[in-house]
Amino acid sequence: MATALYEPMPRGDASRIVQLTRITALRTLKVRYRGTALGILWSFMNPVLMTAVYTAIFGTAFSRYYDGSVVRYVLSAFVGLVVVTFFINATNEALPTIVSNGLLLNKIAIPPVIFPISAVVSNVFQHAVTTFPIVFVLAIVLTHDPVRVALVPLVLLGLVLLVSGVSLALSALYVFFRDLPHLWAIVGFILWLTSPLFYPVEFVPASVRPYYDLNPVGATINALREVTLTRGPLHLHAIAFGVLAGIVALVLGAALFRVTRRDFMDLL
Amino acid sequence: MASAIELAGVTLTRRTQEEFHYDLKRTFFDLVRGRIRRPRKRTVLENVTLRVERGEKLAIIGANGSGKSTILKVIAKVLAPTRGTARVAGTLAPLIELGVGFDAELSLVDNAIYYGVLLGHDERTVRENVEGMLEFAELTEMRDAPTKTLSSGMAARLAFAIATQFRPDILLLDEVLAVGDERFRRKCAERLEQFWDAHSTIVVVSHDMPYVLRTCDRVVWVDHGAVRFDGPAEEGVRHYLDTVPSGAGYARGEELIDVARKSPRGELVVRGTSPTDQGRKVFLIRDGRRHWVTSPDWYDRVGYGWDDIVHVDDTVILEVPEGDVLV
Repeated sequence: MATALYEPMPRGDASRIVQLTRITALRTLKVRYRGTALGILWSFMNPVLMTAVYTAIFGTAFSRYYDGSVVRYVLSAFVGLVVVTFFINATNEALPTIVSNGLLLNKIAIPPVIFPISAVVSNVFQHAVTTFPIVFVLAIVLTHDPVRVALVPLVLLGLVLLVSGVSLALSALYVFFRDLPHLWAIVGFILWLTSPLFYPVEFVPASVRPYYDLNPVGATINALREVTLTRGPLHLHAIAFGVLAGIVALVLGAALFRVTRRDFMDLL
Repeated sequence: MASAIELAGVTLTRRTQEEFHYDLKRTFFDLVRGRIRRPRKRTVLENVTLRVERGEKLAIIGANGSGKSTILKVIAKVLAPTRGTARVAGTLAPLIELGVGFDAELSLVDNAIYYGVLLGHDERTVRENVEGMLEFAELTEMRDAPTKTLSSGMAARLAFAIATQFRPDILLLDEVLAVGDERFRRKCAERLEQFWDAHSTIVVVSHDMPYVLRTCDRVVWVDHGAVRFDGPAEEGVRHYLDTVPSGAGYARGEELIDVARKSPRGELVVRGTSPTDQGRKVFLIRDGRRHWVTSPDWYDRVGYGWDDIVHVDDTVILEVPEGDVLV
């Protein structure tokens, strides 16, 4: 069976997808924050608490790799954790969405893509009002470099593309492999450990580095640190690599989604 | 005049039930052992060609599992044909099992808006009409209450109100809608009548032959995924009923066993005709035995409707050897 990777979308379909995605994301947020005292601040608490824990344990010991400054360690860990918590939360939330909306997809013609994407969008919204502004402030205060500040949205866009691509792939695969969440929990943990979050990259043995550098989450973290924490000449390649990782992930994820989509309805 | 619905040579194959549970672990070990399983597929619809003109009222009839509802799903674009094309012109209201997709925690208003948008309407239009929906469902006072506080009847009322708020070009009805108490049912029926009078195209799937004859001019009889008859309602219903095993004429238990074996599912649901205790029992005849059905919701679970039951003289049923008790 040949499935075209690109089918021209009828007019009106694109705007319907946008509308459906928006209303589904809003609904997710509404359900989530109904009756929670701290509400949206929860997505802020996670990276802050993790940063505090890492700093308490490793801060003093590792500070010499961060210009002898515990503060720099704190900021570095925080920026890394913003990326990784967003990545893990959004992908975990998107993973079951096609299956959990299976009944609905069996009754009404809805483009299934809106479910994983709206999970990503609701997470983007949460971070857009909590952690992302802080990242901006850090870039302004620490780099004094208008070019870097201007590049922050681009790097964050790369992160969102990465998360979207992975989410599309996971939600599609979950239709076929119902034990995927177990595997993804392990992969998530590996990505967490293989991202330079709480330890300096210098710790990674040279022989492992080439593989280590393939971690797209690590690439995005490096790109975000480049535009928020560093000064001096701009390492454009770090930024380019981060954004590129996002684009590649989205293209692959969307392709996988499109190819498998035809078989969704048989398994829901 | 362009037709409202046009199915051309629609064939649909789907994976069989037993393939429904996959996991990575099993797939991995299968690959290691060199056993790559291709999913088994079964043909659900075979070369279905159907043209429905604008304003036509059409009923799709046939036995359970014959593919009636699948045709509705193809028209509703829920399922894409494996081969052939499905073309639908105009707005469409699929009244297929209402109320799926309500979130129990959210308010009635929120759910109504979401459901309306899912059904294909513009968000602004839905917002403007949401009070009208609540009013029709007679739930205006509960508009801000969480939907979990509704009884199932109330939820069905709300779903019906949302789905029928806007007059569609094409209305798809899976089984006759019976929502709420007797008074509300009449209200639903009246609203549907309006669509009937207002030149909407209507496709209804039903087992209720008197209803079909009363409301539809044309009947499509589907048998094993293929169209077996397409034409005037009366003729179609007569042809169909001729093939349905009816209780009269079964004089011996062996005949029941034989009919059961030859039926599409290899079984037959029978019920005794005498008012005695023994006669009121329902049995499933399968593999040459009569299995006593004891639980009232068994039909739903297995996918039988009340009109699938064949009424037979009790003494004939008792000639079939006794089997298991089905709960």
